Amino acid sequence: MTIFAHSVGFGIVTASIIALAAIAFSLQFSVTTTPNFAHGELLTAGAYGAYVMQKVSANLLLDALGAVLFGGAVAMILNLAVIRPYRRISSKRLTLFLVTVAASWIMQNILLLIFGAAPTIYRLPTSSLHSVGPFLWTTIDEEIIISAVVILALLHALLRYTKLGKSLRAVSDNPELARVTGIRYPLVLNVTWAMDGALAGFAGFVLALNIGALTPSLGFNFLVVVFAAAVIGGLGHPYGTLVGALVIGLAMGISSAYLPGQYSESIAFILLIGALLVRPRGIFSAAEWNMAE
Amino acid sequence: MSYFLTICTFAVIYAIACLALNIRWGWGGQFDFFVYGLVALGAYTDAVLTLPPQPKDNTGLTYILGLRLPFVVGAIGAMAVTAAISLIVGAIALRQLRQIFFGIMTFASVLILAAVIENAQFIVNGYTGVYGVPQPFAGVLDLSFGAYRWFFLGLCVVVLISVYAILQRIFWSPAGLVLRAVREDEFAAAAFGYNPYRQRLKAYVLGGAIAGLAGSLLIGYITAFNVDTWSPIETVLIFAAIITGGSGNNAGVILGSFVIFGLITQGTQFLPAIPGLGGQTGAVRAIAIGLLTLAFLRWRPQGLLPERHFTVFRRRWPRSLLPTRADNGAATPQ
Repeated sequence: MTIFAHSVGFGIVTASIIALAAIAFSLQFSVTTTPNFAHGELLTAGAYGAYVMQKVSANLLLDALGAVLFGGAVAMILNLAVIRPYRRISSKRLTLFLVTVAASWIMQNILLLIFGAAPTIYRLPTSSLHSVGPFLWTTIDEEIIISAVVILALLHALLRYTKLGKSLRAVSDNPELARVTGIRYPLVLNVTWAMDGALAGFAGFVLALNIGALTPSLGFNFLVVVFAAAVIGGLGHPYGTLVGALVIGLAMGISSAYLPGQYSESIAFILLIGALLVRPRGIFSAAEWNMAE
Repeated sequence: MSYFLTICTFAVIYAIACLALNIRWGWGGQFDFFVYGLVALGAYTDAVLTLPPQPKDNTGLTYILGLRLPFVVGAIGAMAVTAAISLIVGAIALRQLRQIFFGIMTFASVLILAAVIENAQFIVNGYTGVYGVPQPFAGVLDLSFGAYRWFFLGLCVVVLISVYAILQRIFWSPAGLVLRAVREDEFAAAAFGYNPYRQRLKAYVLGGAIAGLAGSLLIGYITAFNVDTWSPIETVLIFAAIITGGSGNNAGVILGSFVIFGLITQGTQFLPAIPGLGGQTGAVRAIAIGLLTLAFLRWRPQGLLPERHFTVFRRRWPRSLLPTRADNGAATPQ
């Protein structure tokens, strides 16, 4: 029973990381409708941003700031330099997907060029192991969970109660109508990409904290897990994605206690395939998703 | 000269893999990530069929079967296995998933395949992989090392030309037309009585078999294979070759794979090293390929040799649709 409780505890930590990354993806997809395969590289960019920042200062908060800023900047560049030229010639969505696949490939190799293929050790702050209720967490684990909850609550407040959040939701609902009412569409797209990058960068930072080492394919290896959470929650539904992240995180955590550890990601992939086949619109999605589009 | 041979052989083998993906992406319109997994699966199948039985001593090399069969049987076995796996994956994925959802599904599938091969040690020796795979016809021919390399290149070229000839026939055949009709407008094709699902599945399985053939040639050449050789992202290179050459056009795809795999991936190794980069030229090359793909998608999405369209109003009818001699004059298409 303790093994089960501990594995649930690890699952919650994984779920927090997935939730940050998947909600960033989901928000970006619902507003800009660009299927971003290079999302994993935003995580990697954030993690390396924190790594570079760590050489300046060992303060965890400053490192997190580095991750957020670097992730956001990379996402803005991705939008302005790579995706916008193709939107302008109104490429099909599948072409945009292919464009982001190529972008992901390029970004991974740029990181490889700068930092090399060997894992970069991320110096972890000292942390102690202690039990909270039935769970067994390190200080870092607790910080990851608390920061995820705080950030997602802030994001919720932003989407619900501010004018920016309102215009984001308006564009996501109906871009044409939003433009007619005077919402500055290109600006909203840019802000969305920046938020996506900042959130994903932070997710990459906590992922690096959790793993303790960085490689240029860190985010790429995590990408399908993120996709799984986003698809289960309903692609483009930030709130459903939270539940999707919990499902995937718990499934990975619990399965790693009873199966060989290398298969825990495969469990997420199988859940993804199952979700795509059984309920491709996601758990909470009421809208009809046109799968043929 | 010897290096030139290596480049040509790789480019020819990859051209076959590109033709396999072209059936799925170029003709069928499926964004398929599984194709490189199938090349790998073909290579592994060929290996376990042609290798001698697993050694009894403690060399740590473990794999199933080990039947010591000749290369031809190994290649046919590889094609059968990859076709069967394609049938399973395709039957599940093609039923209701399209476009990016299909891409995500096949991406997840290839990662599951990689996880199983990497972790189930007994199948093909896990992460270390198999090595010492016998080269095709090497035992029968008894050639010198240099002469054998020429022979192998010739073998690959013969396979490429036969695959190209078969695919070219299919391209202009009614079956090929139906497949492209399904890609352009699924509902219109269905209205003419063609089941889009079955048409796509046929193309998917055919592509799988050809990918398996490419895999068996690949392992016949490099004689060792492990998980490091095929990460799923390598599929990007095959997509790059297809987009550069021209999606849908078989000759264009072969040209594209020579540009990507011959000229850029292998050919640039002759160039003087860029100072200050050290051993990172691989990454520079990969970035160049990515940028080339982006440029083609932006300014010439149809590729170097665009797909040839079948038009009713021109006199070029495919031979397969022309009336045969028996009913000549009864219904002439002009």
